[in-house]
Amino acid sequence: MLPSKVMPSSQSLAISVKNTFEEWLVKDAPTLIYMAKATIAALLAMFVSMTLTLADPRTAMFTTFIVMQPQSGLVFSKSYYRVLGTIAGVIMSVLMIGAFAQEPKLFIFFFAIWIGITTAAGVKYRNFQSYGFVLAGYTLCIVALPVIEQPMEIFQIATSRFSEVMVGILCATVVSEVLFPRKLSDSLLSSERERFENVFASLGNISSLFGAQDTKDVDVVKFSSGVVGVHAIAVNSVFESATDKRNRLYLEQLNLEFMHLSTTFHSLKNIIRDIELRASASTVDALKELYTPFAKVLQSIPKFNDAGFVDMLNQLKELKESTHSQVPINLKSDEYDTFNSAAYLVTRVVEEYFIYANSYYAYIKLKSSGKVSKELTRVVRFKTHTDNVLVALAALRGSGVLLVTMAFWLLSGWKYGTLTITMSVVIGLLIGTLPRPLDAVMNFLKGAVSAAFVAALYDFYIVPEYTTDVYTLGLVIIPVFAFVGWMTTRPKWTGFSLGFVFLFFSQSSFDLYYKIDPTTFMETTIASLLGVSFAGAAYILVNFWSCSLSQRRVAKVLRGQIVYLCNAPLNLQRGSLESLGRDMIQQFSTQGRLNNRSSRLVYEWLLTTLEIGGAIMRIRKNLNRLEAECKLVDQTLEAIKEYFQTPTEALKQTLLDSLESTIKSLHVKQKEEIHIIAQLSLIKTILLSRVSIPVFKEDSCR
Amino acid sequence: MPLDITLYGIQMPTLLPIFVIVAILQVTVDSIIAETGLYRHVWHPGLFKVALFVCFFTLPCLYIYH
Repeated sequence: MLPSKVMPSSQSLAISVKNTFEEWLVKDAPTLIYMAKATIAALLAMFVSMTLTLADPRTAMFTTFIVMQPQSGLVFSKSYYRVLGTIAGVIMSVLMIGAFAQEPKLFIFFFAIWIGITTAAGVKYRNFQSYGFVLAGYTLCIVALPVIEQPMEIFQIATSRFSEVMVGILCATVVSEVLFPRKLSDSLLSSERERFENVFASLGNISSLFGAQDTKDVDVVKFSSGVVGVHAIAVNSVFESATDKRNRLYLEQLNLEFMHLSTTFHSLKNIIRDIELRASASTVDALKELYTPFAKVLQSIPKFNDAGFVDMLNQLKELKESTHSQVPINLKSDEYDTFNSAAYLVTRVVEEYFIYANSYYAYIKLKSSGKVSKELTRVVRFKTHTDNVLVALAALRGSGVLLVTMAFWLLSGWKYGTLTITMSVVIGLLIGTLPRPLDAVMNFLKGAVSAAFVAALYDFYIVPEYTTDVYTLGLVIIPVFAFVGWMTTRPKWTGFSLGFVFLFFSQSSFDLYYKIDPTTFMETTIASLLGVSFAGAAYILVNFWSCSLSQRRVAKVLRGQIVYLCNAPLNLQRGSLESLGRDMIQQFSTQGRLNNRSSRLVYEWLLTTLEIGGAIMRIRKNLNRLEAECKLVDQTLEAIKEYFQTPTEALKQTLLDSLESTIKSLHVKQKEEIHIIAQLSLIKTILLSRVSIPVFKEDSCR
Repeated sequence: MPLDITLYGIQMPTLLPIFVIVAILQVTVDSIIAETGLYRHVWHPGLFKVALFVCFFTLPCLYIYH
C-alpha cells in the first residue's frame, strides 16, 4: 500500500475508515453477535419454560448460559454431555433416595463415593466429557438433597429438573445454529493456515536455528497446548454434521504431521545449541551448509497460491533426494557422531516438512474446491495420559468436601445447609477441571458476591417495581444476560463468570410468581457463599502436590515409556507416543503446579524421551528389516533399558561404552547399517549433551 | 391416538416418545444429507435442519391433536 502522505486526504480517510470497519467486523462484531445470541437463547428459554409452567425456569436460563459457546459444534458437544450427565445424575438420585432414604449413614457414604468417582472421572477425561461427569455428580445434590425429608417428591423434582435442562439445551442449540451460525470447521481452517504460516516462517529463518539465544522463556505450554487444543476442537467438530468425515480425517492427519515436525525441529534446535557450545566451528558450518538449501527453498516462495505451492513441493522433493548424499569432508573423527545425529535430524525436518506441506496443500484444495487429491484412510489415534495421583487427589478432595459440608449441615441443623453442600460440591467438581484451581475459586467467590448484589437489586427493586408479566420481566433482565454473555467470551473471566452465573440464577426471583423475602434471600446467599469458602479451603488444604513430586512423576512416566519401547510391538504409531507425551505435559502444567523453570525442564525431558524412544523404535525396525542378528545392537538396547529402569551414573557409563563400541564396529561393516548408526549416534549425542534426560535431580526444583 | 400413554407403568404424554423417535430420525436423516454433500447447496444449513425437525415433529403432533 502507498504511504498515506502521497494520497489525497479524503481518500486516505476513506481507507482508514474502511480498515477500521473491517477490523471491527473481525474482532468486535463476533463478540456482539455472541452476546445477542446468548441473550436471545436465555430469553427464549425463559418464555418457553414459563409457558410450560415448569417448576424452576431459572435452571433453563442457567443451562443456556452454561452450554452457550461461540461455535455451534461446541454447543452441540457440551449439550450432548450435559444431557448424558443429567440423565446419569437423575437416575442415581432416584436410586439413592429409593434405597437409602431411611438410612442417613449409608446415604452419606454412597453419596461421598459417587462424588469421588465423578470428580476423579472429571479430571481423568478431556474436553466436555469431563463436564458430563461433573454434571452427573452435582445433579445428585440438586435433585436428592432438597427432597431428603419428603422422599416421595423425588420423581417430581427429577422430571422437572430434566425438562428444564432439556428446554435450556434446545433453546441454546437452536439459537446458535440458526442465528449467525459459526462453524468450528471454519475456525479450524483459519487456525490451520496461521499455523502453517508460522512453521513456514520459522523454518525459513536460519538464525532461528543457528546461533539462537538460549531462550529461557520458551513457551512450553504453547508447544503442547497447540496440538492438544486443535485435537480437542477437531473432536468436537464431530457434532457438526456438515463437517464431513473426510475433512476431520485431514485435520487429524495435519495435526499429527505438525506434531512430528515440531518435535523434530525442537530437538534439532536443542542439539544445535549444544553443538555450538561443545563442538568445533567446522561441524556447525557443515550443518549450516546442510540446512541452507532447505531454508533457501522456503525463502524463495513469495506467496501461497496454487503455483507457489506446486513449485515449492517440487523443489522440496528434489532437495529431499539430494540431502541424503551429502557427506561431510573435513570433520574430526570424534565429532563425527555428533554431526551424524544432527544431520539426521536435518534430513528429517526436510522430509517431515515435505509431508506436512503436501497434506496442507491437499486440505486447502479440498476446502476450496471439494476435490480430494490425497485419500486418507488411516485414523490417527490420539492418546492421553492422566496421572493417577492427580486423579486420586481430586477424588479425595471431592469426597472430603462433601463429608465436611454434610457434617456442617447435620450439626448445625440449618435449613439451608443443603445449599452449602451443593455449592461446595459444584465448585469441587467444576473448578477441579480448570487450570490453576485456587485462583479460579477466588474469582468464583468474587463473581458470586457481585451476583448477590445484582440479584438483590433485581429481587427487591427492579422486579417488584417494573415488571408486570413475563414480557416486562424479559425486558428488564436483558442487560444482565448481555453482561453474562460478554463475560463468557473473556477467557480471563472464566471463574468470575461461573460464580456470577451460579449465584445470580440461584438467588434471583425469576419464577412463575414472586416469592422471595429478604430473610430467605440473606440466608440462602450466606449458605451459598459458605459453600464457596468450604470448597476454597479444600483446595488450599488438599494440595500437597509439589513441584518436586510433579517432576518425579513426569520423569518416571517418561522413563517408563523408553523402557516400554525397548519391547513394544513394532507397529506402534509414533503419533500415539508423541500425543501421549504432550497431553501429559499439558495436564501437569495446568494441574500439577510446574513453575516456569521446571516446565522448561520437563519440556526438554519430553523432547529427549521422544527422540530416544523414536530412535529405539527405528533401530528395532531396521534390525527387523535387515533380518540381521546383531548381538552388539541388542546389547546396547538392553543397556538403554537398564539405564532408564534405574538411572545411575555407573549404568550410564556402561551404556555410553556400549554405544561407542557398537557404533565403531558397525562403521567397519557394510553400508546397510548406516541407518542404525545414525540412530545410535543420536542417542549418544543426547546422552552426552547438556540437554537433560528424564532423570529427576533434587536441586532442579529450587 | 391418545394424549397420554403408559410405558412400563409410567404415564407420560405421547409427545415424549414421539420426540425421542423424531430425534433419532433427525440424526439419521442429517447424517445422510451430510454424507451426500447436499448441505453444500443449502443456503442456511442450520435453519434447514431446524425446519426439517419441525416438519418431522409436527406431523405426528397434528395427528394426535387434530
